Amino acid sequence: MTTTSLLPPKSGTPETPARPARRRGAAGPAMAAPAMLLLILFVAVPFVAAIGFSLYNVRLGDPREPNFMGFTQYARILTDPDVSAQFLSSLGHNLIFAVIVVPVQTALALALAMLVKRALPGMAVFRAVYFLPVIFPMALVAIIWRLILARGDQGLLNATLNFFSGGNFGAQDWLGSELTALGSVIVLSIWQGCGFQMVILLAALQQVPGELYEAAELDRANGWQRLLHVTLPGIRTTLVFVALYTTILSLRVFDQIYVLAKSGGGLNEDATRTVMYQAVTAAFDQNNIGRASAISVVFFILVLILSLIQRRLTREREA
Amino acid sequence: MRSRRKTRLRAGSMGAAGVALALVLTACGGNGEAGNEADGTLEVWAHSGQASEAEALQSLVDQFNDANEDITVELTLVPEADYTSTVQATKAEDLPDIMEMDAPTMASFVYDRKLVPLEGIVSEEVLENRIGGVKESGTYNGETYAVGMFDVGLGLWGNASLLEAAGLEAPATAGEAWSVEEFRSNLAKLAEVSPSGNAIDLGEANSFAAEWGLFTTSPNLWSAGGTLMKDGKAEGVLNSQENVDALTEWSSWKEYTDPNTSGTAFQEGQVALTWTGNWMYPGFSEALGEDLVLMPLPDFGNGTKAGHGSWQWGATPAAEGNEEAAGAFLDFLMSDEAITAMTDANAAIPGSTSALETSELYGDGKPLALFADNLASACGSEDVTAECIAVARPVTPGYPTVTSSVGSALLAIWGGADVKEELDKAARAIDSDFTDNNGYEDE
Repeated sequence: MTTTSLLPPKSGTPETPARPARRRGAAGPAMAAPAMLLLILFVAVPFVAAIGFSLYNVRLGDPREPNFMGFTQYARILTDPDVSAQFLSSLGHNLIFAVIVVPVQTALALALAMLVKRALPGMAVFRAVYFLPVIFPMALVAIIWRLILARGDQGLLNATLNFFSGGNFGAQDWLGSELTALGSVIVLSIWQGCGFQMVILLAALQQVPGELYEAAELDRANGWQRLLHVTLPGIRTTLVFVALYTTILSLRVFDQIYVLAKSGGGLNEDATRTVMYQAVTAAFDQNNIGRASAISVVFFILVLILSLIQRRLTREREA
Repeated sequence: MRSRRKTRLRAGSMGAAGVALALVLTACGGNGEAGNEADGTLEVWAHSGQASEAEALQSLVDQFNDANEDITVELTLVPEADYTSTVQATKAEDLPDIMEMDAPTMASFVYDRKLVPLEGIVSEEVLENRIGGVKESGTYNGETYAVGMFDVGLGLWGNASLLEAAGLEAPATAGEAWSVEEFRSNLAKLAEVSPSGNAIDLGEANSFAAEWGLFTTSPNLWSAGGTLMKDGKAEGVLNSQENVDALTEWSSWKEYTDPNTSGTAFQEGQVALTWTGNWMYPGFSEALGEDLVLMPLPDFGNGTKAGHGSWQWGATPAAEGNEEAAGAFLDFLMSDEAITAMTDANAAIPGSTSALETSELYGDGKPLALFADNLASACGSEDVTAECIAVARPVTPGYPTVTSSVGSALLAIWGGADVKEELDKAARAIDSDFTDNNGYEDE
């Protein structure tokens, strides 16, 4: 089964090589210029600056010349028992987060998309409701979930569980306990992010031609077979995109953890700290821009390696 | 048609690039606000916390502007949560002439050359008239860098009906404070009579990882005979056995502690006790009336202790050449009328001795006199004696690291982590930061 045949034919693809190059000569760079300029200014320059900062002991607002520290910050991130342990556990949390959230959220989004794709009366309401959490800022979502997951009998989840178990299920400290803290963050993140993937997958589902389903039905394919052999291949490129996008989001998890830990959610910091969280708290709570920059640089290299691997894998499959 | 669209697009993209470039250029050169001395404008930054406080300040500024023809104070309010990091991230030359700061952040701003000594700017009488706690919070390296209109205190508030139901009597003075053993057994008794099943609100919802954590738990350390730092070192001090014991005790109260997600557990009589500052008094007294009692914090052995230190005012290098106007404004803020207007709004402890004497809340025999008594015997955190009650947080430029490391440790300890291990970790983080910065020696 080829995926390309399902996509609408790309207009103009055959004649592209024939078009004279000189007519487009100046337009390309000119149109790329604003984006390039912004990229250089807001991505390349800060990154190069971060490399510079990471070699010095930079403190925000200190008028003194920062001391040169060489690779001390890097050495600490990689070997110091405290800093490095924190960095590695942060990295681990990011990976666990990605490994769980990417498949679960994508599958859930697909299921929701297939549900709301049906042309039933009032479906627009459901689509809107499932999409609603996406509109909420993460900080707000974290505050709402703080109330749901609050420890003690007054937490909504604890009260509900207690009610349905007839009092047999004791109150849990969902955010504070080492065992459930990361799980809680994962659940609320999926709840918030799922709707967005749903909308993208819904659009892809609607582009799968109806004839294919009719043909499959004539071949007496059951629902499961239709999902495996018509739907999934039909939306493969979108699925890959959604998975990539979710991976990127999982690597930069920050907001919900910061809000839950710093505004009284009682979130277990050591069980949920992510790399971004470590970098931001180093920079703005501890006023240690050097370490924050070094963390960012190391993280950038790791993410770069990860995305290169991922790109190679997805490319091979597409070929 | 086609080519026309193309040129329009190109023009559009050039325009966008131009706008971006212009934005960048203005962003880079955005500090052109100097030279305000000439027109008598005085720029002032303050934190925007409680609404009543911000309103009181605004009306004080209006009063000052009406009374002083030749000086115009321009007040900018910055949200409290971002205030310290905003000042920290602003270059000294971009700061306003006068700015507010939270007491423990003062030393770090002095170190960053963002504050100038106030001797010669603020009048001698005003400096003399300050209460002990405010004097101490405003002094660093022997010089006055800040003046506070008010100070705060930390206390244990009780619901008299619930205390009575549990057969307990509320201690009224520092000398009568519950010992920590009494406190623990009282928590168990009070949990039984409290409608929520929990005895106390420790301010968990304010987050122990934030500044609140260090502010609210450090009295336990001082009262146990420990402290946070000595001579710029945390190792052996922060992780001392006294501190480990005190925080082990503190975290054991969790089973009696209400998470207070609604924020009104104490006001609604759901819990018998709450551990918080004087600023909650207006709401508490309205909700509980006669039932509200104020008690000293429990005594861990070295006498009851309480935190203090609040928002205060300082002048920045930008005020140089404009000292007269800056001094006039600070003198006005520190006048008894202004202090009374402010403390009426936020129920804080008046920062001048003359305003304190006439205070409706803190004067002798008044409902919150305990806080004023605590402040009368104030001391620094390096040398905490059994006699002193109100203790200031460490006055050091490295304070951001201290509070951040201790906050993380507190959050973990509250979550059940090993106390000694967490304090060891925090001590190492603090010492490593001090070493990186040459001990924050101000050469």
